Amino acid sequence: MFDVYVPTVVLLPFVSFLVALGAGQYLPKRGALSGIAATGGSLLLSLLIAASVAGGQAYNETLYVWAAGEQFTLTFGALIDPLSALMLVIVSLVALLVHVFSLGYMNDEGEVGLPRYYAGLGLFTASMLGFVVADNLLMAFMFFELVGLCSYLLIGFHFREPGPPSAAKKAFLVTRFGDYFFLVGVVAVFATFGTAAFAGEGSFPALAEAALAGSTTVWTPGDLEVQTWFTVVGLLVLGGVVGKSAQFPLHTWLPDAMEGPTPVSALIHAATMVAAGVYLVARMYGFYALTPTTLAVIAFVGGFTALFAATMGVVKDELKQVLAYSTISQYGYMMLALGAGGYVAAVFHLTTHAFFKALLFLGAGSVIIAMHHNENMWDMGGLRSRLPVTYYTFLAGSLALAGIFPFAGFWSKDEVLYEALVHGLNDPLLLGGYVMGLLAVPVTAFYTFRMVFLTFHGEPRSETARSPESVRWNVKGPLSVLGTLAVVTGFINMVPVQKVLGLEGIDYLHRWLDNEWGGIAGLSSHHYAEVGPYSSAYLVGGEAGTVLVGAAVSLGLALTGLGVAWRLYDVPTPTEHTAALGGIKAVLYNNYYLDELQVWLAYRIEDIAGGADTVDQGIIDGVVNGVSSVSLAGGSRVRRIQTGLVSEYAAMLTLGLLALLVVLGLNGGWFL
Amino acid sequence: MVPVEWYLLLAAGLFCIGLFGVLTRRDALYFLMSVELMMNAANVNFVAFALYYGDLTGQVFALFVIALAAAEVAVGIGIILVLYRNFGDIDVTVPAEMRW
Repeated sequence: MFDVYVPTVVLLPFVSFLVALGAGQYLPKRGALSGIAATGGSLLLSLLIAASVAGGQAYNETLYVWAAGEQFTLTFGALIDPLSALMLVIVSLVALLVHVFSLGYMNDEGEVGLPRYYAGLGLFTASMLGFVVADNLLMAFMFFELVGLCSYLLIGFHFREPGPPSAAKKAFLVTRFGDYFFLVGVVAVFATFGTAAFAGEGSFPALAEAALAGSTTVWTPGDLEVQTWFTVVGLLVLGGVVGKSAQFPLHTWLPDAMEGPTPVSALIHAATMVAAGVYLVARMYGFYALTPTTLAVIAFVGGFTALFAATMGVVKDELKQVLAYSTISQYGYMMLALGAGGYVAAVFHLTTHAFFKALLFLGAGSVIIAMHHNENMWDMGGLRSRLPVTYYTFLAGSLALAGIFPFAGFWSKDEVLYEALVHGLNDPLLLGGYVMGLLAVPVTAFYTFRMVFLTFHGEPRSETARSPESVRWNVKGPLSVLGTLAVVTGFINMVPVQKVLGLEGIDYLHRWLDNEWGGIAGLSSHHYAEVGPYSSAYLVGGEAGTVLVGAAVSLGLALTGLGVAWRLYDVPTPTEHTAALGGIKAVLYNNYYLDELQVWLAYRIEDIAGGADTVDQGIIDGVVNGVSSVSLAGGSRVRRIQTGLVSEYAAMLTLGLLALLVVLGLNGGWFL
Repeated sequence: MVPVEWYLLLAAGLFCIGLFGVLTRRDALYFLMSVELMMNAANVNFVAFALYYGDLTGQVFALFVIALAAAEVAVGIGIILVLYRNFGDIDVTVPAEMRW
């Protein structure tokens, strides 16, 4: 069954890409309907696959060998286990909703170039699904790159304006910078293990485990210790993750990428493409769990990014910019969870975040339609009564993002912080990540509700806000679906309730990822916890007490942030209040001048490149040119003996003959 | 019987006369004649060694060289004819076009 279903899931959106590209011009909705049909089909098949996995099946097969060599075999294959089945459902669901939403956002708004748009969406969905089912690192890398290409195409959709092409290039180049390290990492994995398979007996996480236990040997460069080398490989692959998942310091592309159409932001920058990085770490978690240093780096970078991005979201004026920074921040939480050994927590947050962030982006898209493409929150206000569906769904998403009980984000963020806390009590670096993650909680709640209050509450502050354009079913439908999910997704994994009340078995996601219903040996959360380096420690009151304290603290902080936002911005005519920040405001507003720093670095590298160019042109090329001019000059002298006079040729022949005779004579000793 | 050295000296003398002609003369016809002399020097050598070793191969080769010389004269005369047509002269120092 999987033999047919899995390739079909990936190929359906690809067919939609071809249809939109080839025939989109002649279709009634310019390719939207085929896209909806294809992603809908993918969603159905994904659900079937998930159901089969729940029925105890798993799949790990090579489907196509495209290069067979002496040492390596390069293949395409599919790996279906609880993690990839879950991700398939998320990706195809969000893609379907985004396609439907695009009918309202793109078709109804009379955009041109729609076949190109729907082709991009189709290819993007196909590559992301291909990435999710990839059974080896090289295939994952290839689809990872395709995803990057699609983001370039879609961000730069409005290529006639100045902003989008530049943002697209930036997104492409920054993620590509990370991907260089990833590519080297892929090669390193091949060189070390001779395989890049994710799962099974001969997979590289299994070999790495065996190598660390001493039961097998692997190649390492020089006399490097296995542990050290694994850390290096892990960090190399992490480069791609940091780029794609927009972690510090490669996060700068994501806010700019908001230049793309809003449904694209929802699809690429909230729910799926940025998720690729986190998903990759989760996919090869069996390898990362073996290298404590890499885990600590992941956790620290994640915690730092969570706080760092959240502070920048506080001062932004544009709706989508706030969401962009919240996305970076939330992916920081996922990385923190992965680094802290919270594999399930990270996947949980990935799931809930996919839903509530897609919801928020689509809600923002709805507001943008209503506001005639004005994204400045200071021109909005009072949209609550005019866009009720958008308001209530957006509110659900915001409560989830802020981590307010009992919305989805509360459960997942709480579990992330809990994992970081219990594992971090023995590990100062991890504890640092936890503290930063905790500090980001009130900031998140604050900027989220600043955004909600400025957009929907108070008095309308512009003419458009007084009489906004209404939106149709194709906008309200996806919002309602995602709004419901943002409320209920948290209930799939109520670990705190289980631990405090002692109810068994309501942590469905834990059981799902622990292969309780079926899966592949060696890819369970249980196994990861066994090979991982962490041990748990608890604060007062043991496990239940720690859970309660942690949840209470993070909920309290979130409510504090919400309260501050409420006091400051839920007034009829809110003011900026940012003057109180003084000099910090400019720093935050300019994103800590990181863009400037990167540009400065690029220029310094250009200087170095200029120096290298001088050396190349002057010295290396100088030597080559010198050699050639010597031959040229020599040639122009020597050719003078070609006088064209036949007598002189005869004379030279004779002289040559004489010279030969003399040489022969000297050699033969005739003259002695 | 005349010793073989004498033949060789004769041949060397003939060759040097021919070579001298080639190097000093400017008239293409003299060139041709000088080349004939040098070839006949070779012929003398062939025949002399054939006599010395009592082997007829040398004489056969001499016959070949005579045939070859006839062909060479035919080609040479042709070249001289073309030379005359193009330059109005058969002085070999006049055509010096084919140089650097």
